[in-house]
Amino acid sequence: MDVTTFIQTLVKALALGAVYIMMGLGFVIIFKGTQVLNFAASALSMAGAMFMSILIADRGLPFLPFGNPLAGPEGETPSIGVWLSNLIFTLIIAAILGLVVERLTIRPMIGQPLFAMAVITLGLEFAIRPFNIDATALEGRSLGVPWGAEAWTVADALIPKSYVAAAIMALIAGLVVFFFYRSRFGVAMRAVAFDQEAAMAQGINVGRVFAIAWALGVALAALAGIAYGMAPFPPGGSVSQEIHPVLAFRVLPVIVLGGLDSVIGVIYGGVMIALAEVFAGQYLSQYNSILGSGYSTIVPYLVMLIVLVVRPYGLFGTPEIRRV
Amino acid sequence: MKKIRYLLTIFLVFAMIAASCGGSDDGAAVEDDTSTEDTTDTTEAMDDTTDSTEAMDEGGGGEVATDFGVDAENKVIRVGLNADLSGPFASLVSEIVAAQQVYWEAFNEAGGYEGWTVEPVVIDSGYATDVGIQNYEQFAQESEDGVLMITENTGSPITAAIAAQAAEDNVLVIPLSWASLWPDPEFGAAILEKQTTYCIESMNGVEWLAGYAEEQGLEPSLAILSRPGEYGEDGAAGAKIAAEELGIPIVYDGTSQVAGDDRTGVIAELVGSGATMVWTTLTPGELLDIFGNAVSQGYDGLWSGNSPSFSYPVMLTSDFAGEFDQYYFQSGYYASWATPGIPEMDRLVTEMVARRPELSISDVYSTGWIEGMMTETLIRAAIDGGDMTRANMVALAGSGIEVDFGGLSANQSWPADYNEAVVRSSWIYDVDAEAFNLIPMGDYTPENPGSTGMIPLEKDYVGSVAADYVFDGPCITPSG
Amino acid sequence: MFRRPLLRTAYEQDAAILPTYFQKVAMALLLLATVLTALGAPVLGAIPEFFLGGTWLNPVTNMITLGIAALGFTILVGVTGQVSIGHAFFMGVGAYMAVALGGPGDGVTACVPFHEELGVLDQAGVCGLGLPMWIWLPAAGVAAALVGMLVSPAAVRVRGLYLAIATIGLVFIGLHLGRMLPEFAGDFESGRTWPELQLRFWKEETPLVDMTSDGTWFGLIHLSEEQKQFFFLTALFILFAIAAKNIIRSRTGRALAAIRDRDIAAEVMGVPEQKYKRIGFAISSFYAGIGGALFASYNGRVAPVQWSLFLSVDFIAILLIGGAGTIAGTILGTIFVELTPEVVKRFTEWLGDQVAGEGIVASFANLMLTSGSGDFGPISLTPASPGWPMSVFLWNFVIFGVLIVLFMIFEPLGLFGIWIRIRNYWKGWPFSY
Repeated sequence: MDVTTFIQTLVKALALGAVYIMMGLGFVIIFKGTQVLNFAASALSMAGAMFMSILIADRGLPFLPFGNPLAGPEGETPSIGVWLSNLIFTLIIAAILGLVVERLTIRPMIGQPLFAMAVITLGLEFAIRPFNIDATALEGRSLGVPWGAEAWTVADALIPKSYVAAAIMALIAGLVVFFFYRSRFGVAMRAVAFDQEAAMAQGINVGRVFAIAWALGVALAALAGIAYGMAPFPPGGSVSQEIHPVLAFRVLPVIVLGGLDSVIGVIYGGVMIALAEVFAGQYLSQYNSILGSGYSTIVPYLVMLIVLVVRPYGLFGTPEIRRV
Repeated sequence: MKKIRYLLTIFLVFAMIAASCGGSDDGAAVEDDTSTEDTTDTTEAMDDTTDSTEAMDEGGGGEVATDFGVDAENKVIRVGLNADLSGPFASLVSEIVAAQQVYWEAFNEAGGYEGWTVEPVVIDSGYATDVGIQNYEQFAQESEDGVLMITENTGSPITAAIAAQAAEDNVLVIPLSWASLWPDPEFGAAILEKQTTYCIESMNGVEWLAGYAEEQGLEPSLAILSRPGEYGEDGAAGAKIAAEELGIPIVYDGTSQVAGDDRTGVIAELVGSGATMVWTTLTPGELLDIFGNAVSQGYDGLWSGNSPSFSYPVMLTSDFAGEFDQYYFQSGYYASWATPGIPEMDRLVTEMVARRPELSISDVYSTGWIEGMMTETLIRAAIDGGDMTRANMVALAGSGIEVDFGGLSANQSWPADYNEAVVRSSWIYDVDAEAFNLIPMGDYTPENPGSTGMIPLEKDYVGSVAADYVFDGPCITPSG
Repeated sequence: MFRRPLLRTAYEQDAAILPTYFQKVAMALLLLATVLTALGAPVLGAIPEFFLGGTWLNPVTNMITLGIAALGFTILVGVTGQVSIGHAFFMGVGAYMAVALGGPGDGVTACVPFHEELGVLDQAGVCGLGLPMWIWLPAAGVAAALVGMLVSPAAVRVRGLYLAIATIGLVFIGLHLGRMLPEFAGDFESGRTWPELQLRFWKEETPLVDMTSDGTWFGLIHLSEEQKQFFFLTALFILFAIAAKNIIRSRTGRALAAIRDRDIAAEVMGVPEQKYKRIGFAISSFYAGIGGALFASYNGRVAPVQWSLFLSVDFIAILLIGGAGTIAGTILGTIFVELTPEVVKRFTEWLGDQVAGEGIVASFANLMLTSGSGDFGPISLTPASPGWPMSVFLWNFVIFGVLIVLFMIFEPLGLFGIWIRIRNYWKGWPFSY
């Protein structure tokens, strides 16, 4: 086996896994806080990436007439500092978007059937996606990544800087979620997930838990959307009208594999699914005529189905206690 | 009580079947009618219009027979655009639609032809086949709500879905698809393909790229990447024919292999093959992923592909703009934005800039414009001939009428013989990331026309393979 | 005498298809309105022009085929409580069974999978035997039901949302098979031709009931080809709806509902969970297969990508907007989900025509719409308008999405919930409860 190719494949898989982890954490936080499977994740994630592009490439603020004070000097590739500050700014905007969405559409549903909430997120997906399409229309949407498609060479293997950056982002996101879980809010969130009414009775502000879960969840989805935009991920350094809208659906096997409500499960699931997908793509490609073109796309689902048959609640999911 | 209800239901069903059996004689009679329907319809329509044309004879103009989609009283011709305005090709198609609308605005403001004006009706299909078919039915209605002809129908799938019905209904359709099926009367008796086919485009592109590779001192060897489906197979078929004729080895044949969201395998095979040339028949998103990853892994072959694979707003704002500039050559069917020395392009630019200043400059305006020119030529001929019925529009299209595109693209006519009908020329452009400057048309000045980054290298290029190849039909066999 | 909705004096009343007079009358009126509207009678003339302009028959007939599949979804999800997002997969199975048996094709040899690779037939060809509809339509349902039973052992183990997401895997595997087996699926992008909706004894030239050309039925009514298909599919839909209603009120249906309400309790009471879940999957897949076959055959040509996640997700919206796992709810939900986009489309078109006029409507239209630049409305009428204002074709989707959200917020129990509320109000009238 060619060592260089192996290293490159491994790095690619881990980077994809990092994106899956960020997106998956977004799903899990919202699921944990509100028991809703967020069907609007792809639209919200793409909207986040869109904000980033508007901030950095258009040098403007979304829906506001004046320019972005954080954008660096005009006509230059932004420096890493400028880009990062804009990234943080974007995540704040995404979190606010999450709060608004939650306040308007999810909060009124406290105590209502869970599937009604799921359909609301479905409606949100329909309602938000056209804005994304409109904003990407005609002009390409650069994300202004300072390092572009550059790569380091390590023992003949090319390691794209973006892949390392994605891994770092996922690490930070994971740490934030981890410490958040340990905090008072995290405990409150777990209590709400366990039983909304009981948590209310204990004096937990369920509305606030909902709000924070959505803010954090949407910010994480936006982060995943931005990370996935960096070259040489498929969108090649921009927001893609073709690729971004389906990103969230690719993460569903990840969260089921790990267990819908498990943070640690997402991390395992993300890495496992990405490894399976990328390695199957790389090393089984000569069997393409038997496996069918695009076979690696269904590898995650096959892995998921096998795991589910053995462990119906994923690797780390909480089994539902069945009572008469 | 319950049983009675059941019996009633069963009785009803039987009654229905029995009645329809009895009625089947009528059905057969009606079927006979349909075979003669064309003639009766036209004569009826003739009667109708003679009434209405009598009424407006004082307004001048000869008598024109009409049937559906034409308001003979107000001299308004309705044409339909079944366009994808909210689906995957929305940004491209909306520009094409805008160009055609501008074309008709200009046409109408100039007084139309003999007092006849054109009203384009736009409906959105979202690229969904079922919606596309519904839209078609709406256009094809045999009433004043129908249209005379469909001047744009987005995409191979929807065109394939309506082709047979359109031939039956005598609705002429200009598809937004360059599949090599359409010039063949068997698949598209009422489909009026514009410009060349994906297959011939590939022949020209591969031949040109091989010549360029040799100039660069490279030994030509070809890798073919395509997506499954008619588009991908058509493009790949042409590339294979060209490689065979020119003796270029195909080191990786990825026909129909680019599918799904993960393209790691295709990239691995491509990079491993060591091909010096790549021909792609993909979508822009797929090309960007494969190209970007291959280049990131140090792959340095020359690239080109069918026109829809490459999209300058996507590619030239991505982080691989420089690499596309270096390795990619775009192929196409028409003059790019503000190409100098083309009279029709000057008219297009003037009208677009004046009427849609808020839109950005674009290459695909030519496509909408060309659709307009084709339609105008046919409508003029129909008015001159005094017969603007749907059936006559189809007949006119096949009558050997030639459309002069004024340099925007090669002139075209539609004889019945496949080998004669196909257009064999395509355009080759250099990708220039430096020149790329997408500006709103409001900022257009002749000194600063803006650029889509597409610099024509060859205008109406016909390679030796495409010139000499004898087509006995489309390059692909369509499925059922 | 109007009967109290929940007052039952005999078991037959409890099990009746239409238990109250109101429902009987409403159903009869609905049928009458359907027939008259389809025939083009001006019964609904009072409804504004935007609602009746153009051809409604096409989207409505399309909706009916999806409605049949939705009935199956209601049985699986609404009655049995097994959330599945794989319904589109089963529709695809049915549709491909239908086209393999009934569609035009290249003979039996083309039906061997991978026939090109195996050398059975040395060219590309599609499998289609051209058999009549009375064979392919039931076969489509049976094939889908068999596949449903095949996957049910795995599905029985997995619960709740895990099951929902696991079934998404089916959709993707289905799409992959669509790519791998062009002998059945046809071209990946443009699909293949489905058999026409014709009744034949065998392969004779003149069909028994011809539904693809205009003609006269019963020697009385002259019908266009669209109207014929509409009536045929409506009749089928009614038959399948009655069958579904009967399944729900039968022993099987009660067992399924028991599993939904509490599976362990059901088992304790002697309802074998595994068996009935399998039956639930089989019934639902049967409906999906029939619905898929009719949908494809009504549209004439369908590509494999049609059986996608979005189609599956439509059914979830149908179920929840209709509400409460009932047949009436399913019908209402299907109408809402499948026709709202069309209504919105026509509404915005109609609004566009009003700009020139005067009065309140025109000023509202003026406020909302802009036909070029320099106008303040958020909705642009020109198709190419990146940025703000956004094109009307994109707004149509936004409005649809917002309608769904608003609807669920104000009526979480769905359309059926509204009906229950109205009924309860009148039940207690003149007292508030």
